[in-house]
Amino acid sequence: MPKRKLDPLPSAAFQILLSLAGDDLHGYGIMRQVEEQTDGRMRLGPGTLYSSIQTLLEAKLIEEIDQREDTGLGHERRRYYRLTSAGRKLARAEADRLADLLRVARAKKILRGDYV
Amino acid sequence: MSEKIYALLLRLFPSHFRKAYGDEALQLFRDRARDEKGLLRRPRLWLDLLADLASSLPREYLHAEPELAGAAIGQHAKGVPTFYVLGDERPRPGALFLGGVLSLGALVAVSVLLTHGGNFRPLLVSTRQSPRGIETRHSALGNAGLPSAKATEESALASGRAQMGASPQTLRTVTNGGTAEPQPGNSNSRGAASAESAAAWQPRAPQPRDADRTTSVTGVDSGTLNAAERKHVISAAIADLKQYYVDRNVAEKMANALEAHAKNGEDDAITDGDAFAHQLTKQMRDVSHDLHLELVYSQGTLPQHPTEETPEAFARYREAMVESHCTLEEVKILNDNIGYLKLNSFPDRSVCESTAREAMATLNHADALIFDLRDNRGGMPDMVALMASYLFDHPEYLYNPRENTTRESWTHSPVPGNKLADKPVYILTSARTFSGAEQFCYDMKMLKRATLVGERTGGAAHSGVFHRIDDHFGMGIPETKAINPFSNADWAETGVEPDVNVKAADALEVAAKIAAKKLQKK
Repeated sequence: MPKRKLDPLPSAAFQILLSLAGDDLHGYGIMRQVEEQTDGRMRLGPGTLYSSIQTLLEAKLIEEIDQREDTGLGHERRRYYRLTSAGRKLARAEADRLADLLRVARAKKILRGDYV
Repeated sequence: MSEKIYALLLRLFPSHFRKAYGDEALQLFRDRARDEKGLLRRPRLWLDLLADLASSLPREYLHAEPELAGAAIGQHAKGVPTFYVLGDERPRPGALFLGGVLSLGALVAVSVLLTHGGNFRPLLVSTRQSPRGIETRHSALGNAGLPSAKATEESALASGRAQMGASPQTLRTVTNGGTAEPQPGNSNSRGAASAESAAAWQPRAPQPRDADRTTSVTGVDSGTLNAAERKHVISAAIADLKQYYVDRNVAEKMANALEAHAKNGEDDAITDGDAFAHQLTKQMRDVSHDLHLELVYSQGTLPQHPTEETPEAFARYREAMVESHCTLEEVKILNDNIGYLKLNSFPDRSVCESTAREAMATLNHADALIFDLRDNRGGMPDMVALMASYLFDHPEYLYNPRENTTRESWTHSPVPGNKLADKPVYILTSARTFSGAEQFCYDMKMLKRATLVGERTGGAAHSGVFHRIDDHFGMGIPETKAINPFSNADWAETGVEPDVNVKAADALEVAAKIAAKKLQKK
């Protein structure tokens, strides 16, 4: 499969990495988690979700783990995904980069207050 | 149901994606559809999905390319042509079939267009029309029936781009009708015959200019033609036809016919210029049946160069229009509250729009309308459209053989505050009703918007563009194909047949009676 660019890291890919920082999740779990952590601003559709997952898999930032049943969602077998250590590192680097950006933004006083 | 729809949408993705994640994508959809129910969330789900398709589909397909490039490097063998394919699986038979049908369809379409597309030359027409500008506008003026409008006409004539002249029959009708006789050698004076421009390219009485006709290529004197001259005119006519005529196939056929007739020696006996022009016209029309196509002979020297419409001429025209109240001879209310308007031309809208609008406003409360066009010698299409605008409550297409379909071909209905759109309309016609006035009659008749009372109209459609062949011969050639939604024939030569055929002199009385009867019935 073609290599897809992860530099700069697309925000969907970053959100997926973040969503997997806690538990291993299946596709729908990731989508829900992303929705939750962005306050509903980002709802990943199947196309975006799975193409991002594919990219992340190829870059070995996440890995697929054995199928198992989600007891909460019927008894269908689902593929679960887990963050790899490379993925965790990349997510951290991206977070740092954003934090830097935030620092600049704050210095330029484009943020109201300093609640961030 | 919705799952099926989504499954279909998923097929839009490339096969490698479908293979890897199709099931999961569908599962995700099921999950979301299960969880997101309700009036708000369900449409939102679909919005999400469509937005997702729109953003991820191109990405999925674009990603195929880097792979292709990568593969190419490894496989490229020396001197051996190679093919790169986007997918490594064999195409489905259905896809192959569909592709075959599509390419076959495209092939057929192209060949059909190549053979039959010659009839339409929109690009050519527009480029040819662009330099005409104001001049064409005035050539469409036809006969304003006004002494001073002559100046404008004359310039249009002189431009060599004037619309085609009327046939001898119509010319005779005109002169018999008693409007005015063409005045020989009177190209600049006021009061010249309005019929003259109708007869623009007909033989005129000798003019002073004829005296120094030494520039004549033809050496034609008092209508004697020699073989060289005939040959010259025929070959020029053929060249013009091929270059300008609206339908190339027909042009080719007409050219062949002209050549054939010449070869058979059918033209050899003719020494009279006028007769020769008629003969060639007949030969062309036998093939094309196009009454707008005409080859004409002028005893007077045809002007050498097109002249521009001058501001002075237009100023004179404007002055004359103001003086004559824009050729609005009479506006009044008859018995039974029937509005009557006698309009003797359709003057330039830029000069006369307000006058025309005022006139229509004074008739706004009439119960019926009579347009008296018995002395109307034509005018500008946009004034025709303006007047017609009052008769409809929605934009209506007006056919005009001179022009391609343009914005001006439509009435500007509805006119704010206008109450006339549903009132019965009568148009009085005579054999002197000409050109633009005939357009008004023809369109209103075809649209069944008016009852025509009077005589058959003059039959001047003037749709060709004039091409000078030499000092004495020229050709009116239709170059554009205006869409006539009503029938194939317009009023060229034949005129517009009235609905109620009475003598022009009695038309008003008859129309008023019909109108009154109709109003009583209500």
